[in-house]
Amino acid sequence: MAELSFGTTTDLLKNALDGASLNQTVIANNIANVNTPNYRRETVSFKEALAASLGAPPDPDELGLAVDNPRHIRVADGVEPTPYHTPPIHVDEAIEMRADHSNVDVDQEMAELAQNTGYQQAMAQLLKVQYSQLGQLFRENP
Amino acid sequence: MPGFYSSIEISASGLSAERLAMDVIANNIANANTTRTPEGGPFKRQLILFAQKQDPTAAQPGDDMPGGGQSAGLAGVQVVGILNDPGPDRLVYDPTHPDADANGYVHYPNVEIIKEMVDMIAASRAYEANVAAIQDARQMGQAALSLLQA
Repeated sequence: MAELSFGTTTDLLKNALDGASLNQTVIANNIANVNTPNYRRETVSFKEALAASLGAPPDPDELGLAVDNPRHIRVADGVEPTPYHTPPIHVDEAIEMRADHSNVDVDQEMAELAQNTGYQQAMAQLLKVQYSQLGQLFRENP
Repeated sequence: MPGFYSSIEISASGLSAERLAMDVIANNIANANTTRTPEGGPFKRQLILFAQKQDPTAAQPGDDMPGGGQSAGLAGVQVVGILNDPGPDRLVYDPTHPDADANGYVHYPNVEIIKEMVDMIAASRAYEANVAAIQDARQMGQAALSLLQA
């Protein structure tokens, strides 16, 4: 299914909202299990997946080499963008510091929850601006 | 891909688990001096057992990452049982008590009020943490819905 795309920025912001929502679910799960013995906290690194979906441009300080044969040596290539997929959920095996062998730190989870909510709201605001600019564009080009 | 409501459902499972924990603690405190039960003998302190809820549909690709184990899926918490604390009864010498044994000792429940109070604080703080998670999920949902006004 070909999805209608309004460009890299809106796609990136949409994926950021998806990632923030998944991250919220993971943090909520950690908080729900705060009193579960032997529980291992889970994390999702959606920001790394987002960064990979952007790729990286070639380093401007490096002198490139012309490559017109696949066997030529490539120098100073950028990182190709990869399509964004829902990132996997990691189980954090960090050292436990509680008597019930759980490694959930509720303060850390609350901090991450607040951070994630702020991030999601910022991304939603940016996406809103993007869409309102698009709307402007459609209105001014009859 | 779990949606916005599953996050609230997860927090709700935490809320009901912590509320049940509060019920168990309240029951322990209420029965701290109960010497007669239908099963005979004094009341036994009850413990609540939490376990991570497993999501049967959560076979996500690429779950087993280096340095991490398998995620059980995001399904919240569940109460798997309420058990009796096998600890010894509290013995009080009171030969005139109707429930005193042959040696004049009354078997009181193995409930320690201080321990119950500490457990109660822990349960109530965990409850608050889940409420905060629901509030944040709601804020995120509102921010996403406000995109409709763009």
